[in-house]
Amino acid sequence: MTTFNADDLTGLLIEWGQGDKAALDRLTPLVYDEIRRIAHRYVQREHEGQTLQTTALVNEAYLRLAGSANIAWQNRAHFFAVTAQVMRRILIDHARRRHYVKHGGEAQRVAFEVAISEAAQMSEPRAAELLALDEALDELAKLDPRKGRVVELRYFGGLNLEETAKVLAVSPMTVRRDWRAAKAWLYKRVMSDE
Amino acid sequence: MTPERWQKVEAVLQDALDRSPQERVSFLDEACAGDEQLLDEATSLVNAYDEAGDFIEQPAIAQDARVLVGGDIADKVGHEIGPYKIVKRLGAGGMGEVCLAQDARLDRLVALKILPAYFASDDARLRRFQREARAASALNHPNILTIHEVGESAGIRYIATEFIDGVTIRQLLTKQELSLAEILDIAEQVSFALAAAHAAGIVHRDIKPENIMRRTDGLVKILDFGIAKLMEPEAPDYRDETQPGGRTHTEAGLLLGTVNYMSPEQARGLPVDERTDIWSLGVVVYEMLAQRLPFSGATRMDTIVAILDREPPPLSEVANSHHCVSALLRQTIDSCLRKETADRLRSANELLAELKCVREELNSGASLTGSAINPSKQDAGVSSKPAARSLPRRYSWLALSLVIVLLAATAGTILYRRSETAAPANAHVTVTSGKLYSQMSEPEQLNFIDQQEQRIATMMGDRPVKLNGDAVRVIKTYVDRYAARDGPSADLGSESISEVYARARPYVPLIARSFAARKVPIIIGIYLPAIESAYRNCYENSIGAKGLFQFMPQTAEHYGVARQDMCDVEKMTPAAAHYIADSMAELGEDSESMTLVLLSYNRGANSVRNNLRQLRGTENYERNFWTLFAHRDQLDDAFRNEGAHYVPSFFAAAIIGENPQNFGLPEPPLSSLAEAGKQ
Repeated sequence: MTTFNADDLTGLLIEWGQGDKAALDRLTPLVYDEIRRIAHRYVQREHEGQTLQTTALVNEAYLRLAGSANIAWQNRAHFFAVTAQVMRRILIDHARRRHYVKHGGEAQRVAFEVAISEAAQMSEPRAAELLALDEALDELAKLDPRKGRVVELRYFGGLNLEETAKVLAVSPMTVRRDWRAAKAWLYKRVMSDE
Repeated sequence: MTPERWQKVEAVLQDALDRSPQERVSFLDEACAGDEQLLDEATSLVNAYDEAGDFIEQPAIAQDARVLVGGDIADKVGHEIGPYKIVKRLGAGGMGEVCLAQDARLDRLVALKILPAYFASDDARLRRFQREARAASALNHPNILTIHEVGESAGIRYIATEFIDGVTIRQLLTKQELSLAEILDIAEQVSFALAAAHAAGIVHRDIKPENIMRRTDGLVKILDFGIAKLMEPEAPDYRDETQPGGRTHTEAGLLLGTVNYMSPEQARGLPVDERTDIWSLGVVVYEMLAQRLPFSGATRMDTIVAILDREPPPLSEVANSHHCVSALLRQTIDSCLRKETADRLRSANELLAELKCVREELNSGASLTGSAINPSKQDAGVSSKPAARSLPRRYSWLALSLVIVLLAATAGTILYRRSETAAPANAHVTVTSGKLYSQMSEPEQLNFIDQQEQRIATMMGDRPVKLNGDAVRVIKTYVDRYAARDGPSADLGSESISEVYARARPYVPLIARSFAARKVPIIIGIYLPAIESAYRNCYENSIGAKGLFQFMPQTAEHYGVARQDMCDVEKMTPAAAHYIADSMAELGEDSESMTLVLLSYNRGANSVRNNLRQLRGTENYERNFWTLFAHRDQLDDAFRNEGAHYVPSFFAAAIIGENPQNFGLPEPPLSSLAEAGKQ
């Protein structure tokens, strides 16, 4: 339905980088398709017993969308960040649906399960875990914005430590320290809910 | 915890984690000496870190890949979403996946668009979208894609629309060369639809070749009303000049990949009105003629600059050599593409009028020198009017509904405005009485319908007012539907006019008696058995096949009609007349009360009282049929799902039933039988 070209992507990433929140909405459809593509690779991998580097897949997605002529680092960093945010939104939405179904009564549950095959459903514990994590991450971001971004990029964006450091323009050591403190804080916060 | 406190806790935590597990306890005691709370915080975090193990160490996608993949339609084929069974995937886009589905309730195919998670989770945005989409759909216009339902089934949000067997204008543009006649035809049909939408206060905002489809029979449909609004951010901050890097043109409507059709005001992020659609249609027509865009650049920015500042290359230079673009057509397109809204054509009706002039010019051949267009092809492409194209044989509304009639009475009050200069109640109507409807030219048909409506409205009460042009055209599409049917048919929904007439005839005296006794205009009752509607509860049994209206069970009971008698016309007619008379007495006879009274027939009096309150609180509320119908989504579900067809259906049936001779029926007008029935 929508067509776009590499310039559109670059323009949107720049706008997003300059604080234009609406750009994220317009980037979402593009990124969403890429995320699904990556997810397909993961599912395939399970069958083939390979391991995958998410960072590499996200890089690949960016090159496919932006074209090889368009590898300005800043845009790529924006792209990673956008991917992480979109990923978070999508998964949280799945979790909310699952939650909704759980609390929405038997009739709805049946309809839902017919519509979506068994394997495609998020498990209830996983949905609960994600919702708790999402909430805790929001709190952490208020307390310590950079740690919030580190977790978003690594956990939802699939970036490794080095790439995360590049996106945030800090040293890998800083990311490592942020990560362990954030992990401790989040784990404690999530566990205390249960 | 405050950020400052967290900094302090974190410093201790980091130092502790730098030490070996054995050293940590004594380190913490020392570092937090005298601050019990700090010690507790830091200790619990150190413990949490130790316990966390591989918590969040694997990226989420590794764990949730199946969930992400499983949302694809490919996995849903054969499954059901709400009442729809997925048949196959048709495509995907930013707005979600689209598939062909079977509606089990009505045994029809629909296009089912499943909104992606990221839209479906934004309730406010989705509600806005629903409002728009329903409002557009409520117009029930032949050139606007019908939206059957915006629904949700256990967390999956979907839009079910009419399934169109056809191609988009984009596909047409890439596959074949359009003749001038075809281009004008498409432009006219789109203008026709926009005129109706604009009259109801609905702006499309995203007219482009991808959003216009042409069916294999030539009928053109505009898709995705409301989608543009869905794509927009909530409450856009249009011009925040104070923010560093604030980008005035990006906030409101820069849709991905669609800047080419954007109006200057849209590109600048200013509020838009219907003239933005006029602009976009101008761009589409230009593109169809020239096979290139009027405004384009290497990047989005360049395109926007061209839209704001440059004039398009003159059509006389760039138009396809097969198209001799007349001065008149050039002027028409120019007047769509004026940068300032004040200079642009003001309405789709104006554009439609201009396009008609162009077509007449084309037909007369006046300005065509060396045209490559074959005259006979011209006729084929142009002469079938948008409305006349929409003769769906597949209409399958089976039972008859009093609601139609009821709403029609409302139409009498809503569509017709009191006017001091209006014709007297018994104005003599000059009709081209000898001429068959099918032999009339389009202007003659419109004139005929207009005159007959005045007459019928007068028969319904004492409100001699004039219908607006759009209303006449919509009613014409319904008349055309009936008129197109010839020959007997086994299917109730596609009976010929004579069969419908014959079906109506036996009930007229009974209805006339009952309605007269309650002082409800008889004409309202007469068309009861003559009109089809989507309301088909009585269809399933033998009485229902006669085509009767439907009552709320509790209302029926209140008026002494047992459930099993609800499809019995002998018992229902007096009860209906009684109910309408009572409700009018309770809620008043002004136009909006009347609408609700009449609709309540299918819904019950309490829901009507609620709706009456809501309706009066509606923004922009006017006593105007189009406004009412366009905003019916603000009322309750029942109102939404009923309504749209009733008023034009009623008029169409009444026009035919009162003028049988113009439709080739050797029968007297039904109202003359009613006169007999009263005595």
